[in-house]
Amino acid sequence: MLKRRDIKTPAPAPPPALRDLAEALVAYARKQGADEAEVSVSDGYEFNVDVRKGRIETLTEAGSRSAAVRVIKDKKTAGASSSDLDMGTLRRLVRNAVRRAELGSTDEFAGLAPLSAERVDAAALDLYDPAIPLLDAEMKIRLARETERAALRDRRITNSYGATFASHEVRSVLVLSNGFVGEYEKTVCGLGVGLQAGGTDDRVEDFWSSTKRHFKDLESPAEIARKAVERTVRQLKPRKIPTQNVPVIFEPTETAWLMGFLFGCITGTAVYQKATFLEGKLGQRIGNERVTVVDDALLPGALGTHPFDSDGLPCRRNVVVEKGILRSYLCNHYAARKLGLRSTGSADGGGVGPSNFYLEPGPEAQRAEDIIAGTKKGLLLIRTLGHGLNSVTGDISRGAFGLWIEDGKIAYPVSEITISGNLGGILGSIEAIGSDLEFRSPVTGPTIKVAEMTVAGS
Amino acid sequence: MRSLQAPLPYVDHFGLSASELRLILGDALSSGGEFAEIFMERRAYDFIHMEEDIIKETAEAVSLGLGVRVLRGDRTGYGYTNDLSMDKIRKTALTAAAIARGKAGGAPPPALRDRTRAASRYVVRLPVHEASLGRKIRLVREAYDAAKACDPRIAKVKVHYSDSLSHICVANSEGLLVRDARPMVKLVCVAISEKDGKRESGYYGGGGRVGLEYFREVLTPRAIGIEAAREALILLEAADAPAGEMPIVLAPGHSGVLIHEAVGHLLEADFNRKRTSIFWNKMGKKVGSPLVTIYDDPTIPSFRGSYNVDDEGTPPRQTLLIERGVVRGLLQDRLSSRLMGGAPLTGHGRRQDYSDWPIPRMANTYIAAGEDAPEDILRSVRKGFYVASLSGGQVEDSGKFTFSVSLGYLIEDGKLTAPVKQATLIGTNIDVLKKIDRVGSDLAFGMQTGTCSKDGQDVPVTDGCPTLRIERMTVGGRSC
Repeated sequence: MLKRRDIKTPAPAPPPALRDLAEALVAYARKQGADEAEVSVSDGYEFNVDVRKGRIETLTEAGSRSAAVRVIKDKKTAGASSSDLDMGTLRRLVRNAVRRAELGSTDEFAGLAPLSAERVDAAALDLYDPAIPLLDAEMKIRLARETERAALRDRRITNSYGATFASHEVRSVLVLSNGFVGEYEKTVCGLGVGLQAGGTDDRVEDFWSSTKRHFKDLESPAEIARKAVERTVRQLKPRKIPTQNVPVIFEPTETAWLMGFLFGCITGTAVYQKATFLEGKLGQRIGNERVTVVDDALLPGALGTHPFDSDGLPCRRNVVVEKGILRSYLCNHYAARKLGLRSTGSADGGGVGPSNFYLEPGPEAQRAEDIIAGTKKGLLLIRTLGHGLNSVTGDISRGAFGLWIEDGKIAYPVSEITISGNLGGILGSIEAIGSDLEFRSPVTGPTIKVAEMTVAGS
Repeated sequence: MRSLQAPLPYVDHFGLSASELRLILGDALSSGGEFAEIFMERRAYDFIHMEEDIIKETAEAVSLGLGVRVLRGDRTGYGYTNDLSMDKIRKTALTAAAIARGKAGGAPPPALRDRTRAASRYVVRLPVHEASLGRKIRLVREAYDAAKACDPRIAKVKVHYSDSLSHICVANSEGLLVRDARPMVKLVCVAISEKDGKRESGYYGGGGRVGLEYFREVLTPRAIGIEAAREALILLEAADAPAGEMPIVLAPGHSGVLIHEAVGHLLEADFNRKRTSIFWNKMGKKVGSPLVTIYDDPTIPSFRGSYNVDDEGTPPRQTLLIERGVVRGLLQDRLSSRLMGGAPLTGHGRRQDYSDWPIPRMANTYIAAGEDAPEDILRSVRKGFYVASLSGGQVEDSGKFTFSVSLGYLIEDGKLTAPVKQATLIGTNIDVLKKIDRVGSDLAFGMQTGTCSKDGQDVPVTDGCPTLRIERMTVGGRSC
C-alpha cells in the first residue's frame, strides 16, 4: 500500500540549517564588498494527486529548496537566485552579484529598509497546521476520489477533468545585513474538481475548489462536488444576446479578479512607473461611498497572511480605499522612497504583493439573492475568459459567461458575449454590495452590482 | 530556411554515469512500472531591467534539478529533487515508482544509447552565455533610448532583457539517452505615452533561440523601442472599439494567436484522449473552411517555440493539424500516444522545467498561406474591424475562445480609418473556422516573445498567420 511513511521525502533539514545558510551568505556578501545584502531561503515539500474517473492519474511528491540574494553596492543593485544550494554555487552567485552591481546604475533610492523595532508574532498568525505533514497519502487520494465520485453521481455531468488534492509545507527564512532575521512555517492544502456537462458540441464546464491553511477547514468532498455540479449545469443550453448596456452583477469569484486588477493599479511600483490610471489620485475620490478596500496581512489563518514582508518590515492592515477615497498606495520600501511615502509592509520579492486584499462586504441583510431579485434586467456574471485588463487606462474587455436576469429572476444562461467598461467607472457606479465575503483566496470580494456595462453579443 | 548548424557545446552538470542512470531507472521500475524516465536540467538565466533612465537591477539565476517519471497504464508517478546526490535521486525514483504498486516485472532497463543530434536548429553565432553583461546592457539602453527619444509624449519606458542557456538530458527505460543545450533570448520594451492627462501603453519585443547577433541582423533594439513607442502614440488618438458582431480582418503575424487558441490547444492529444475537447470525435471530419490548413512545426530554425528534441527526447516533426478544413492530426506526447494505441509521436511533449511532467504542447503554430492578395482582402470589407496587434488569448475545451486586441482600426469602404483601443473578441472555434472566408498569401510570424500557459506550466511558443478575413465575430468594445 502507498503509505506516506514509505514514500516520504526525508524531513526538511532542521530549521537552524536554513537560517545558518542565509546568515552565512549575508556575511559572505559583506566580505565580498557589498554594502548591504538580503538573503531569503525556502525549503518546501509538496504532494499532489489527480484522480480522474476513479483512477489515480498522477501522483507527485517532492521536496525543493531555493535561495535568493540581493546585494547593494554604491547604491547599485544586483540579484541572484538558485535552486542549487551547493555552497560553492551560492558563493559564486554572490561574488558575481557584487561584481554585476558595479555595472548597474547608481540609484539614489536603492537600499535596505531600516530595521524595524516592531515585530509580528508569526505563531499568533496561525499559518501552520501540524496535521498536514501527518496526513496519510491514502487519505488524500480518497478525498479526491470521493469528491469526483460525488460529482459524477449527477446524471447531467458528462465528463470529468478530474479531482485534485494538493498540500504544501514550506519554511521561509529572511536575513538582512541590517540585523533582521525572520523565519516562519506555513501549510496549505486544497481539494477541487472540474466538470463538463452537455454533449460534445454543446459542452459547458466549470470547477470548484477549497484551499485552506488548515486541513480541518477544507470544505467536504460532498460540498465541493455539489458546488462544482451546480456551477457547471447552470450554464447548459446558453443563448447569445444582442449587444446592449445593462447592469452587471459580479459573483464573488468575479469580484475577486476585479479586485486583483484594482490591486495592480494601486501598487507604488505602478504609480511611479505611471503604469496606472490611479496615479496622482491619493486622497481623491475613486469610487462611491460604498467602496472600502482593505489589505490585511494579519487575519489569522488566512491565505494571504504573513508576519513580515520581503524588506523585513512587519506586516499590517492597510486601508486602501475608504468610502470611495483612495487612502493608500501599497508600497515596498523602494517604491515608498521614490514616492515620498511610507512602506505599507507590502514588499514581495522585488515588487509589491497583496496580502488579504478585499472589498468590504455590504450590510448583513444584503444577500446575493436579494441583489438579483432587485434587478429588473441584467447580467449575472459567473465566469470570464481571456485577459483584456489594461492598468494604464483602467479599461476592461473580457469574454464572459453569465445568467440573464429578467424581472429579478434568473431567466437563462448566456455565452459568447463580452463585457466591457472601465475600472474607474465601475468603482463609481457600484449600486449594491453583498454580505457574502469569504477569504477563499488572498484577493477576494463579495457579490457586487455595477450600474451599467456594455455587454456585446450578436 | 531549414539550414542546420553545429550544436552548442554540451556541458554535463549532473555528473551521473550511464550505469548510474540505469540504476535509477531500475529503482523507478521496481514497483512494476512499465516505463521510466529521468529528466535532468540546469538552466542559467541572466536578467536586466531598465526603468526611470537607470539600469535598475541585474540578476542571475540558476535552476538545477532532476525529475523521475514512472508510467503504468494511465497512471503517472512523479518525483523531483534539486539535491543531486545519488542517495536523494534514488529516493526520488522510489517515490515515483510507488504509483505502480506492484512488483518489478520485466528485465532491467537496457543499456542507454546516445541519440543526441549532431545538428542544431538554434542559430547562434554570439552565444549569450559568452557575452559580457556590459554588452547586454548596451542592447537594453539602445531600446530604451530609442523609445524615449521617439516623441515628447513618451512619458515612461521600461525595458526587460532576459536570456538563458538550458542543458537538458533525458534517459528512459527504453534505452534512450538524449542531450540538448538550448539557448533563449528576449528583449521587450513597454512605452507609456501621455497627453492631456490621458495615458496609453505600447509593447514590442523580439528574440528566440538565437545569439546576440540577432539584435544586429534581424531586429535591432532601436526598432523594438520605436515600435513600442509608436503603438503607445497611436493609441493616444484611438477611439473606443465598437461592440457587437461584425466582419473581421486579421493582420498577418501575431494574429496567429487566434489559431493557437481556436485550434492548437484543442488538438493537443490529452484533451482528445480524455474526450474533453470538442475535436475528440472529429478526426478526418470537415470542421472548417477549405481555405484553412494549419500546422505546428517545432523545427523552424531559431524560433522561440523550436527545439532539437522535445522534453521526452523525441525528435519533433512538422505536424499537420487541419488540411483544407479537415482535422488530420494531434499534438502527441508519450503518455497519450501509449493510451491511444501507439499513435505516432510528433515531438510535442514539453514541460516548463524539471519539476513538471511533460504534456502535449504547441511549439510554432500557423495557418498556411492562401492565394489572396492582402490588399484585396481589405478592399473586400465595406464596414468592419481590423486587428493590428494582439496581447493574448484563452480557450476552453468547448471551443469558446477569446483573444485580446491591443490596437485595431475601423475598416470603412475597404480602407483602414480610425485607430481603436483594446477590445476582446470572442467566438466558438468551429464556427469561426467555417467563417474564415479569405486567406492571404502573406504568411508571417508574430513577435518572438510569446509564452503559452497550460496546467500551470509556461512554455515559449510562436504563432503565425497570413492576412485573414472572418465573415463575422463578436467584438467586445464599448460603443454600441
